[in-house]
Amino acid sequence: MTATGTVTGGALTVRGLSKAFGGVRAVDDASVEFKPGRINAIIGPNGSGKTTFFNCVTGMIRADRGTVTLDGRDVSRATPDRIARLGLGRSFQVCRVFPRMTVMENMLVGVRSTAADLWRRADDEESLERARGWLRRVGIDHLEHSEARNISYGQQKLLELAGVLMAEPRIVMLDEPAGGVNPALIGRISALVRELNAEGRTFIVVEHNMDLVMSLSDHVVVFDRGRPIAEGAPAEVQTDPRVLEAYLGV
Amino acid sequence: MRNASETTRAAAPAAERTAGNRAARPPLLRDPRRLVGVGLLVALAVVVLVFPMTTSVGYLLSTGVVILNYALMATGWNFMGGFTGYISLGHAAYFGLGAYAVAILIDRTGMSPFLALALAPLVVVVIAIPVGVAALRVRGASFVIVTIAFVLILLLVAQSWASLTGGSTGLMVPRAFQGLMRTEHHQVFYYIYVAALVLALLVWWRIDRSRFGMGLKAVREDEDKARALGVPTFRAKLIAFAWSAFFTGLAGALYALWFGDLDPVFQFSILMGAYMVLMALLGGVRELFGPLLGAIVVGLAIEFFKAEFGDTQFHLVATGLLLALVVLFMPEGVIPAVKGLFARFGPQASSIREVSAQQLLDGTQDAPDDDAPVAPGGVGRVR
Ligand SMILES: Nc1ncnc2c1ncn2[C@@H]1O[C@H](COP(=O)(O)OP(=O)(O)O)[C@@H](O)[C@H]1O
Ligand SMILES: [Mg+2]
Repeated sequence: MTATGTVTGGALTVRGLSKAFGGVRAVDDASVEFKPGRINAIIGPNGSGKTTFFNCVTGMIRADRGTVTLDGRDVSRATPDRIARLGLGRSFQVCRVFPRMTVMENMLVGVRSTAADLWRRADDEESLERARGWLRRVGIDHLEHSEARNISYGQQKLLELAGVLMAEPRIVMLDEPAGGVNPALIGRISALVRELNAEGRTFIVVEHNMDLVMSLSDHVVVFDRGRPIAEGAPAEVQTDPRVLEAYLGV
Repeated sequence: MRNASETTRAAAPAAERTAGNRAARPPLLRDPRRLVGVGLLVALAVVVLVFPMTTSVGYLLSTGVVILNYALMATGWNFMGGFTGYISLGHAAYFGLGAYAVAILIDRTGMSPFLALALAPLVVVVIAIPVGVAALRVRGASFVIVTIAFVLILLLVAQSWASLTGGSTGLMVPRAFQGLMRTEHHQVFYYIYVAALVLALLVWWRIDRSRFGMGLKAVREDEDKARALGVPTFRAKLIAFAWSAFFTGLAGALYALWFGDLDPVFQFSILMGAYMVLMALLGGVRELFGPLLGAIVVGLAIEFFKAEFGDTQFHLVATGLLLALVVLFMPEGVIPAVKGLFARFGPQASSIREVSAQQLLDGTQDAPDDDAPVAPGGVGRVR
């Protein structure tokens, strides 16, 4: 079971990334380097382009300019499914699961397949076991047979995370993992992120919950108006005048 | 929003949870629902296979062939519509292409009708792939419009390229079987259609349970999410589209050999494409036998209306009404609706009594984080 295996790699370099929607420069010449093995946080005011940055990096929307390099490979023009297969997994700000599929089926979508494997049963014993391993780890294995639309929002968030992990990413990008969930669950998610990181996975987490950011991350990148304006250890960033200005508008 | 059935499923017996969906299946004779399913399937097979032997009335036999043709088309349509949720209203394109391919191959090359029958669906696939490459870049209503546009283009081509297609006067198709009586002709094609339909159902069934099929169903649910999980959605959709064109084209090729006379207006009609959609929706697009059941119901209705009221526009109105009723009252189709009734009144798959004491102690039948669904945003945010 890879649920306990270690993972290597996971470096992501972004250079000069830009994306405008009409006149709105959502991401504006952003350059960031995410080192492997870290828990990186991205913070910034609403509308500062964090989600758009995620979408460009993962190929969901095509950037106007800029390069994205994943473990030395240029993926600037790659399709989102290819980027995912290269080891970059992501969650969505508004949690997305396959509503009419069972929890188990949601997990099986992420199974890696070569062309020769495509005709294999989706629910072969090996995939089922691996999926159960992840469901147990996030704590929803008892919901295996439930349809995803019938479980609570918090459980859907856990399912989304488990589903991303099923696809064996080296880098996991989470867009507001604590958004809209109760404090107990926030604790559970942050403990999980820490464990998964200890196994070698790189994390890039957009988060508004400052307590969570400060306790969880090794490295914080602060976004304002579409680009990073400061980065560093959580304690440094917290007292950076530029950050205070961006947040408090002083 | 947790309901009774979900609680039951959540509390599935430990044996089932550890041994997996398959291993936990009880033997056939002990599983009433599967028994009913297998019984229905055997009954259907017997009725379908015996029907042509019970009658020598040409009209009845030809109705049988027409319905099998609908069933093959609708099942073919469902490779695309059912798995991926991409609704093509222009699938008559592949039906017409299959028919004209067979006729033109025999006519121009003098090849045997059987070889032409084998090649025609492949010709359809070769034409369908570039169409798919273009059409599958757009979703929703745009996709529907592209598919309609393609069938209209083909209609114009078939009407105006008279040297190849015979134009509006139509095209005669050489006979595959010489010296057969009319009823024998119907019977032979009836069984060929059955074989083709069985092949289509087998491939659909195989895809349905495969990894490839899981990817397609993920596209139907949320295409962007599927891509984010690494499903090569474009390639998957294209392959599904090719299978869909293959079987719809096969129906067209068989139709040409059976009917023997092609008219562009019939071969490339939007109405025919709408029938495929209606049949699949009526039976249930997530179900292997959904399109077949829909084809039987709608096909019989169409034939009935035509027989009763002649070739008026009445059957159009009836088709439209039926489609509206299905979408309003049985959006999932007949088969899931009936299954739902079974689930409500029939024996439960796993009753609440099967919860083990250990599970009660663990409290595993209770969701640990039962926070009500909360729309994210605005809650407890630090700006
Ligand atoms: N699809 C879109 N179309 C138009 N404008 C968009 C779109 N997505 C984001 N924006 C705009 O881009 C800016 C950045 O948004 P977003 O990336 O969602 O920020 P954040 O995630 O940091 O809150 C906002 O001004 C937003 O209105
Ligand atoms: Mg955002």
